[in-house]
Amino acid sequence: MRDECKEQIENLSFVHPLPSSPHDVTPDASLEALRARLAGLQPARARGVWRFGDERVDGCLPGGGVPRGVLHEVSAGGIEAESGAVAAAFLACVLSGMAPAGDVFWIAPTADLYPPGLLPYGFDPGRLVQVLTRNDSETLAVLEAVLRSGAAVAAVGEAGRLGRVAAHRLHLACLRRGSTGFVLRRWPHGRQGDGEAPIAAVTRWDIAAAPSAAAVFAEAGREPGLARWRVRLTHARGGVEGSWIMQAPGGADASHSLRVVAELAPAAAAQPVRSVR
Amino acid sequence: MVRRLAAVCPHAAAAGLAPDQPLAEARAICPGLAVIDADPAADRAALEGLAGWAERYTPLAAPDTPDGLVLDITGCEHLFGGEAGLAGDLARRLERFALPYRIAIAGTQGAAWALARSPTSRGPITRIPPHGEAEALSVLPVALLRLDSRSVAGMRRLGLRSIGELARQPRGAVTARFGALPTRRLDQAFGRIEEPVTWTRPPQPWEARLAFVEPIGTPDDLGRALDHLAADLCCRLEAAERGATQVEAVFIRLDGMRPAISIATALPGRDPMHLARLLRDKVPSVDPGFGIDAAVLIAHATEPLRAPQSSLGAIAAEAAMPLAATLDTLANRLGADHLWRPAPFDSHVPERASIRAPALASRPVMPAPSWEYDPSAERPIRLFRRPEPIEATAPVPDEPPIMFRWRGALHRVRAASGPERIAAEWWRRTPDESQSEVNRVRDYYRVEDNAGARFWLFRLGLDGTPRWFLHGLFG
Repeated sequence: MRDECKEQIENLSFVHPLPSSPHDVTPDASLEALRARLAGLQPARARGVWRFGDERVDGCLPGGGVPRGVLHEVSAGGIEAESGAVAAAFLACVLSGMAPAGDVFWIAPTADLYPPGLLPYGFDPGRLVQVLTRNDSETLAVLEAVLRSGAAVAAVGEAGRLGRVAAHRLHLACLRRGSTGFVLRRWPHGRQGDGEAPIAAVTRWDIAAAPSAAAVFAEAGREPGLARWRVRLTHARGGVEGSWIMQAPGGADASHSLRVVAELAPAAAAQPVRSVR
Repeated sequence: MVRRLAAVCPHAAAAGLAPDQPLAEARAICPGLAVIDADPAADRAALEGLAGWAERYTPLAAPDTPDGLVLDITGCEHLFGGEAGLAGDLARRLERFALPYRIAIAGTQGAAWALARSPTSRGPITRIPPHGEAEALSVLPVALLRLDSRSVAGMRRLGLRSIGELARQPRGAVTARFGALPTRRLDQAFGRIEEPVTWTRPPQPWEARLAFVEPIGTPDDLGRALDHLAADLCCRLEAAERGATQVEAVFIRLDGMRPAISIATALPGRDPMHLARLLRDKVPSVDPGFGIDAAVLIAHATEPLRAPQSSLGAIAAEAAMPLAATLDTLANRLGADHLWRPAPFDSHVPERASIRAPALASRPVMPAPSWEYDPSAERPIRLFRRPEPIEATAPVPDEPPIMFRWRGALHRVRAASGPERIAAEWWRRTPDESQSEVNRVRDYYRVEDNAGARFWLFRLGLDGTPRWFLHGLFG
């Protein structure tokens, strides 16, 4: 009976035939071999993670870091939902750490991203390809095409509305070639964001500006210090939510890495961030 | 002015009417005559359309005003089963258009012209064997040599009625009497000298064409036709070690219209799949009308492209391929100016410090300049195309504001750094600008409001009331 099975398996013309000698074939071994083969056939899920380098953040994320080759969502509230400045800066920090080399596509219906402004976050604008689209749906279509082609190591799309189907398609496009996709939720003037949309992304971040340190302490100079952001991880598939105050790199700091300044209590995290409006 | 007949239908001809007859006379002969005003411009346009349609047979087709077409079918006839097959196919299609026709195939344009218009030829299609021009033309009237009417009348007075009789006359005497035209026309008709023809479109070295048995119209069919054409063209490009950067697909419609789609690629390429994919993206924009009879794929620009060698360099080239393909797809879908790579430009004016470089240059002229970070001059991550005017309150004109209103919201300034003075580039100024020097200076401040949001403001003008603008946002 078992021989018959084995014969059938061999007739399936495997590239690597199963061991023929009856002595070294145990059911476990062949099962393991099949599992390994199956894993090889599946789309590459495990492209690794990028660690923030701080256990307080990495501990909340699935796999101990921000996973590569999947879809992420970054949004901001209030006036930032229109301008997308803080969210873009946060993305620049994440991208410079997660994808230190290779082309990055930035797809948006407005061309107000200013490349020299990316430099303090350690992101080289020379590997940026900017794409100007006409509207949100075109942005998402282009983002999907870029992710699907595998032409870029990562791609960012600025869009307001992100439906469940669109997000799912983007996520599948990421899995196909291992490019990391980001959707920067940005609402044009006068439109309100939908905070309760279904989530297809693996992680979702909400960024808001926070008062900088130097401004608090240096009374005489009153110069703004390094930018600080209130970073909320509002969704992480297989992880837990979290909220922190992070300090952006810049100035003389050449490490180009985000630094967690404080961890916010869940109560502070629940506090509404959309202060304006 | 006497109105004359320009053309007559077969029934009118049977009634004894002929072109060039005065209209009054024609009306007298045939009282129930229906008259339509001649429209030579429309006739010419229709003829040009028909010439365009005739490109399904050969790339060299031209209208021969007022009533003919010239096709150079050298080397094309075998695609339609020889000369007879081509003529038969043409006749069948013209019949379907309900166009009266006479077709003649001859070794020279002059002979074909004469035979097509000959009153004695049997049937609508005339074909003469190679080098049979002299014999075939000898019995035809001299008017069919495309001569002016005065010469024809003069020859008739001399008793020279047929072309054969004219050809037997001494050349010198004919030239002395009628000028150089008759002998030249004879030579052209007999193939002794070349006759130049102005073709509508100059022939392209890189083109592939496909004529369909039946007109097609669905986007799927057009896409499949493009696949065939791309494969054909790319095969020839590969043989010549060239790659195309600009490709145009022309669809020849039944009515002579020529809807076309064109694509451009960043790098020269000859991958038929890629080419066809780029073209297929644009197929929905093609209006097939009543059907498309033929399609032509033309490479307008080609560059030398070596076959890839399998070496270490091939790995890098392979890595660039999906990027090039994606950029081409996007550039053709959105427009080439919708995608770029930011490049630094040596200017301290913020709007000009970053320029748009092509996302993928086929031949980089020089290595791209690299970006340099200057911590003393922080730049915002979002820069508005036009600085937005704001209402700002500053205690002292030279100091940053303590509060400002932007887009209806009031922001109290907590901390500020600056000013960074940036002046307009005097060498780029137009001379007629009446602004004074001090009004071209911008004092930039980086300010942070109570919530921690950071703005890039500037004050314009040093004299009078300063005006404040918001130019960008920091992350």
